[in-house]
Amino acid sequence: MLENLKVASFLAFKQIQRGSKGTLILTIMIIALVFVNLVFLPSIISGVVETFNSQSINFNYGNLVIEPREGDQYISDVDALQKKVEQIPGIVGTSPRVSTGVTFFYKGRNARSTLYGINPQDERSVTTINERIVQGEFLSRGDTDKIIMGKTLAGTEGEEGGGLPTLQGVQVGDSVEVAFPNGERRTFQVKGIYETQSISVDTSAFTTTDAVAQVLGLEDQASQILVKTAVNGQEEMFRIRLLSYGVQQQVFTYEQKGAGFVNQAIQSFEIINAISTLVSLIIAIVVIFIVIFINTVNKRRQIGILKAIGIDKQIIINSYVLQVLFIATLGALAGIVLTAGVIYYLTVNPLVFPGGPVFPVIEPATVVRSIASLFAVSVIAGYIPAWKTAHEEILDAIQR
Amino acid sequence: MIVAEEITRVYRMGKVEVWALKGVSFTIADGEFVGITGASGSGKSTLLHILGLLDRPTSGRVLIGDRDVQRLSDRQQTLFRLNRLGYVFQDYALIPELTAIENVIVTSLARGVSEKEYLKRGAEVLREVGLGDRINHRQSELSGGEQQRVAIARAIVHKPSILLADEPCANLDSETSKNILDLFKQLNEDLNQSIVMVSHEKWHERYFCRIIDLKDGLINSMRECNVNR
Repeated sequence: MLENLKVASFLAFKQIQRGSKGTLILTIMIIALVFVNLVFLPSIISGVVETFNSQSINFNYGNLVIEPREGDQYISDVDALQKKVEQIPGIVGTSPRVSTGVTFFYKGRNARSTLYGINPQDERSVTTINERIVQGEFLSRGDTDKIIMGKTLAGTEGEEGGGLPTLQGVQVGDSVEVAFPNGERRTFQVKGIYETQSISVDTSAFTTTDAVAQVLGLEDQASQILVKTAVNGQEEMFRIRLLSYGVQQQVFTYEQKGAGFVNQAIQSFEIINAISTLVSLIIAIVVIFIVIFINTVNKRRQIGILKAIGIDKQIIINSYVLQVLFIATLGALAGIVLTAGVIYYLTVNPLVFPGGPVFPVIEPATVVRSIASLFAVSVIAGYIPAWKTAHEEILDAIQR
Repeated sequence: MIVAEEITRVYRMGKVEVWALKGVSFTIADGEFVGITGASGSGKSTLLHILGLLDRPTSGRVLIGDRDVQRLSDRQQTLFRLNRLGYVFQDYALIPELTAIENVIVTSLARGVSEKEYLKRGAEVLREVGLGDRINHRQSELSGGEQQRVAIARAIVHKPSILLADEPCANLDSETSKNILDLFKQLNEDLNQSIVMVSHEKWHERYFCRIIDLKDGLINSMRECNVNR
């Protein structure tokens, strides 16, 4: 057995060492490109998911969202609930929000969107919208007649929103009239404009809870409470922990809140990825098969000679499989280098998606899976033609 | 000892049957140097292929050392060729990616000979065939005669009991051919090897103990040679 492997390795090494360098390099490059193809799209999908997750946590929901019990419009006793939740180990901030659909009026233009009432200090402990102010300032406690507005909602003079709500040119210091669902109208001065690149946040506006509560007649009530945990990625565990600490309301993770849209997008991406992966692997199989097939057909006579002088056909097959494994190894290594180059480029120059810049994220499992599938197809594609040629009659192989 | 009993070999070419051998029987003793002669198409190469286990007869059997070699499995035949036979092809049949010594030692590797031993033996046998200074040259760097000597070195490196040679001098000039045949004669005498060689050159006959002459797939004549061996 060991002798056989030694002979197979010897023959494989000599074939690679003294065979056509052009064919060798071409095959390695093809495998490298297939590897890049196998890893690249999943890395972009992971990047989109990562971007969406961080936007969801940083701007939309925090890690968890407490919402009213079924049938209730608002959460009551918000202060008490906030205190209870903040005592739970691992919770680092909570932010009650009162949300309401409103119509904004500005210079004869109007736009329907959502106005959130927040406690600025609490909001800072959960989201990072305060870090995304591009003009003016974030809200302060007592700003009952001030508002901050998303860049899309504020808009640009003369530019339509393309289906998104926009007031086309609101500036910091301008006054905006807001019509509430109960018919009341209030005028707010724009204190700041923010840009998060999350469409739903950038088409909304924020004022203080006191301002909204006054209009809607609410007291110690909220539409939802955002909860920030110390670490990301353990939302389900914290959700259960909140419930076990006696939170009676509905508790959702940010993933559950964003599930509909993201899941659909990711499912579509996964289908594209599966097709792309399948096509890449088929290309790899076909290319390796053709290269090895041509190689073995060209070497039929040699294979016949080796058999004639007493070299077992399994040794001959193994020598071709070893060559393929060597080529696949170099191809995978070259693919890793190429992928690293592409990833580096896209990290420096990220792709800009509607949800924000997307940085490719390479997951080790994807790399391992890609390498494993490349090796599997290489062995199959190398074995079949080698087996076929090695099983030919000796004289047929030698005399052709 | 080689015993051939009523060997036939029929090739099918579409619906046509071609009888390459029509029932050939003979015995070759250990240490005999036998020449197989005959016109083109007489069945010489077919017979040698069957004796070398490169082909199977349609009927009849071949016994080598009392063993019916046609009954061996593919794998057993491969091992038999590896360990018991040496085969020299008309067109050398070297592996172009390998150097002279690598061509010679590749079968030693498969036999499990130690590296030290096969390198020593490989160089030694190449010296014996006069290629001591060409051991690291590849096929493309060797002349026809040198390539044939590499092929002979490969066939005799393990001192097989039977050496089969299919017109080994067909592509060589007279001087090189004579060197090759002298080498065969020396191996035959020194190692007591049975050598079966296909030839159609009249002057080769002086090297043979016996000549089996084939005609149309049958033995036309079988005669001892009156050479001074």
